[in-house]
Parts: sequence; structure tokens; C-alpha cells
Amino acid sequence: MLNYVWISLVVIGILVAAGNDITDEFTNPYRNGIPLEGIIQIDGTPAPGMKSIEGELRIPAGAFTAFYGLAEGQEVRQSVRIVPRNDGSSVITIPVGETTPGFWRGMANYGANKDRLMGTVRVMSISESRATVTFVLDPVRFVKLRAVTQGAFDAAAGAVAIAFGLIGIMALWLGVMKVAEESGAVRIVTRLLTPLTRRLFPEVPPDHPAVGAMIMNVSANMLGLSNAATPFGLKAMEELNKLNPKIGTATNAMCTFLTINTAGLVIIPATAIAVRAAAGSVNPGIIIGTSIFGAACATVAGLIAVKLLQRLPRFRKDDPGLGEKEVARG
Amino acid sequence: MADLLRSVIDIISIIAIPLILTAFLGWGVVKKVKVYEVFVEGAKDGFNVAVRIIPYLVGMLVAIGIFRASGAMDVLTSVLAPVTGLIGMPAETLPMALMRPLSGSGSLGIMTELMKVHGPDSFIGVLASTMYGSTETTFYVLAVYFGAVNIRNTRHALPAGLIADVFGMLGAVVIARVLFGL
Repeated sequence: MLNYVWISLVVIGILVAAGNDITDEFTNPYRNGIPLEGIIQIDGTPAPGMKSIEGELRIPAGAFTAFYGLAEGQEVRQSVRIVPRNDGSSVITIPVGETTPGFWRGMANYGANKDRLMGTVRVMSISESRATVTFVLDPVRFVKLRAVTQGAFDAAAGAVAIAFGLIGIMALWLGVMKVAEESGAVRIVTRLLTPLTRRLFPEVPPDHPAVGAMIMNVSANMLGLSNAATPFGLKAMEELNKLNPKIGTATNAMCTFLTINTAGLVIIPATAIAVRAAAGSVNPGIIIGTSIFGAACATVAGLIAVKLLQRLPRFRKDDPGLGEKEVARG
Repeated sequence: MADLLRSVIDIISIIAIPLILTAFLGWGVVKKVKVYEVFVEGAKDGFNVAVRIIPYLVGMLVAIGIFRASGAMDVLTSVLAPVTGLIGMPAETLPMALMRPLSGSGSLGIMTELMKVHGPDSFIGVLASTMYGSTETTFYVLAVYFGAVNIRNTRHALPAGLIADVFGMLGAVVIARVLFGL
């Protein structure tokens, strides 16, 4: 199942990106090859025969939004530089800064140089310290395919950063967990919840260390201590894997445990509350009850689903808990 | 009332970790465990586990990264919006529901944006934050947890996790409509 979903994410992603870029070729949202006109207020007085000029480009709001078909926008006031090439034409360079219109900032982001837009000057007439200029910006193409490539590389690098970021916190909680195991503290917690865990994980002996780790993981998650929850959860997976006769295949207990985890039952959804408070909510905690309800729905539905799905032939045939003969009979 | 609640939450989040550390390590001392030696013994697994999950995490996050960057989410949103509209889910919150199982940071960004545009106490703001709290980042959890023990055949874990996500989102819509609905 995961194989299909994984390849679908990749293939659909690339196809949609290619489709978007082909559509862009026809609709031309970045107005590739179409000239735009503006007025440049030149810095200082241009000497006759001066080669390059610098100044402030001004384009009225109406002209700019109409040109790109935008819903709204402000007058463009933007520093520019025009430098002649050897062949007689001139290059216009628009450095991207805070005053740059958002649409141009986006276009620069898709180009080779993220910090500026470049183009060719078609017509320019200078009178006093003002220049009227008509220019064509370098074409912007294959925006989404570029973004897909960038997204893939960023994600790969980000994954390693996440994993390395886990090392210290993992070591801390695994150490604490080991002390709690040796002292018998885990066993006390485990015994309290045996009636529940025996039902959820019939394949796991009720006093197995895996049960203790799972309980600590779920408790930490519920309290919103997510950086403690992950080490406990990974410890639980290691313990569950000790009961697994088939290396590389998930057991029923693992799937059940992960379903509880992905349903994410939290008593205090701290992140959502913090975002609400930052956004100026009069009552940021109002979502505690609704979140618990939503997560409870997720948990119950997930548990029912996981217990039903494990009986389906396509998942049952790989069940590490069943010997070959039992599969044949079942 | 709101202030009281917030200070309670603050206090819990501040004292929880010191309390757990004191309780577990303290109980170890009471039971005459050689706490430092045992702690180090357990902690040395930290590095191995973190390194072991790298290939799984790279595979999962790259696929999700490609999907997100392509604009496929917009296509999916426009296809599903008429269906989810029938159950009273505003179309603005659909990207949130779709992103939640895929990416924690992505859905956090969408939630923040929705609150900025519609206000945190609007129906959309309340629903978006309820959705955020109603389920976990399924794909990330599966990659990390199965990766830590080198499980490649994940069997029914993903479908069960996604069913949980769907019902979490439906539950969020229902409760938000009942309590805060228009």
C-alpha cells in the first residue's frame, strides 16, 4: 500500500508540475517577450554620451496590474540600472529588494539569479533627468518543474537535519527510559493499564517492556510533550520488533500502535493554541474541547479500521504472527 | 476564564519535563539503581536510531516535497471542494485537511495563513485550528517509527492511519459546526 501511495505522490507531482508549465506556455502569465513601458528618474544629471544610467523606475499601478492581469497592486517605484552591451543593445537590471512588487519578487525567485530580474531595453529616450524606457524581461519558464526539483533537494537535506536534530533528545529520553525500566517504574505504569493494553495488543505479553514504552509514548503525546514522545515511541517499536519473527514486516501490534499515534489524541493542542494566541484570538483555548473530540473520532475510527484491515487476505498473508500453515487454513 | 486556562497550560508545559525527570530518576535512586551508568547505557542507542531513520525519512519527505511543490494540492482541492461542501466544510479549509497527514510544517503554515486572513475566532479559524489538533502527521510518523526498526512492508498501517485522518477531519467539521456553526 505504501509503495503505491509513495510512487503516486512522486508521479502525480511531476505530471501536475509539467501540466502547469505547459499551460503557462499558452497563457503566458509572466508575459514573456511582451514589452513593458516605464519612466526612469535618473540619479544625477546624465552627461552626454554617458554609457550606463541608474535611477528609479516608475510604472503606474494601473499599467502594472493590467500588464500582468493582477487583481491589485501599487505604483512601482524601484531602483534600476541600464548598461549597454557591445552589440548596441542595452541590458536592464532590476535588483530585488523590499520595494519590489510581489509579483516580480516571485518571478526573480524562479529565475537563475534570485536577487535580480534582467531584461533587454527595446526603446529608450532621455530628456533631462528622465528616461522613457520600453523593455522586455528575460523569459520565465518551467516554474513548477524547477520548484519540484528544488522541493526534492530541500526535502532530502531537511530529512537529514531532522534525523540529526533527534540524536540528542533521543539519547536523553532513552537514558531516562532505561533508568525507569531498571527501577521498575515502567512496570508499575504497565500493570495499571493491563486491562486496556491486553485488548489492544493481544499478541504482546502484558508485562513486556514494549507495553511500558507504548504507554509512556501515548502519555507523552497526550500531554503535548512531543519531543519526549518520539524517543519513547521508537523504543516501543524496538521492543515490539523483538517479538517479530519476520524481519522487515510490520506486526499487527505495530500497526495498532502506530494508528493510535497517527490519530494524535492530545489533551492540550499547544501548537494550535499558541498560533491562535499569536493571531490575537480572544479565546485561544476554545479549541481544546473540539480538538479532543476530533482526535477521539480519529482514534476510534483508526482502531476499528486497523482491527478490521488486519483480517483482510491481502494484509493477512504477510502477518508475521501467523505461520505458513495457519495462513493456508485461514 | 481564558487567562486562567492559559496560565494552567503554561504551568503544565513548564513543569512537566522537570517533574518526569525527577520522578523517574528519583525512583531509580530509591530503588538503588546505578543511575548514571544505566542512563548512559540507554542513551548510547540515540545516535544509531537517529541515523537508521534517515533513508526512510528522505524517501518520504522527498515524495511529499515533490507533491507539494508541483501545485497538485490546488488540483486536488478543486476536485474535492464540491464533495466536501456538501458536509458543510468551507473550501478554504480543504487544503488544511489534505495537508495535515502529509506535512506538519505545511499544515502549520496553512493554519497560520487562514487565521491571518479570516481571523482566529472566525468559523474558518476555529475549524482550521481544530483540524490541526485533531490528528497527527501520518506519513512522518510512519516513516520515522517504521524506519527505526527497518520495517519496509508496512501492511495495513497506512490505510488505517489515513482512515483515522479522514474521521478526525470529519469529526472536526461536525463539532465545529455544532458548537460554532453559522
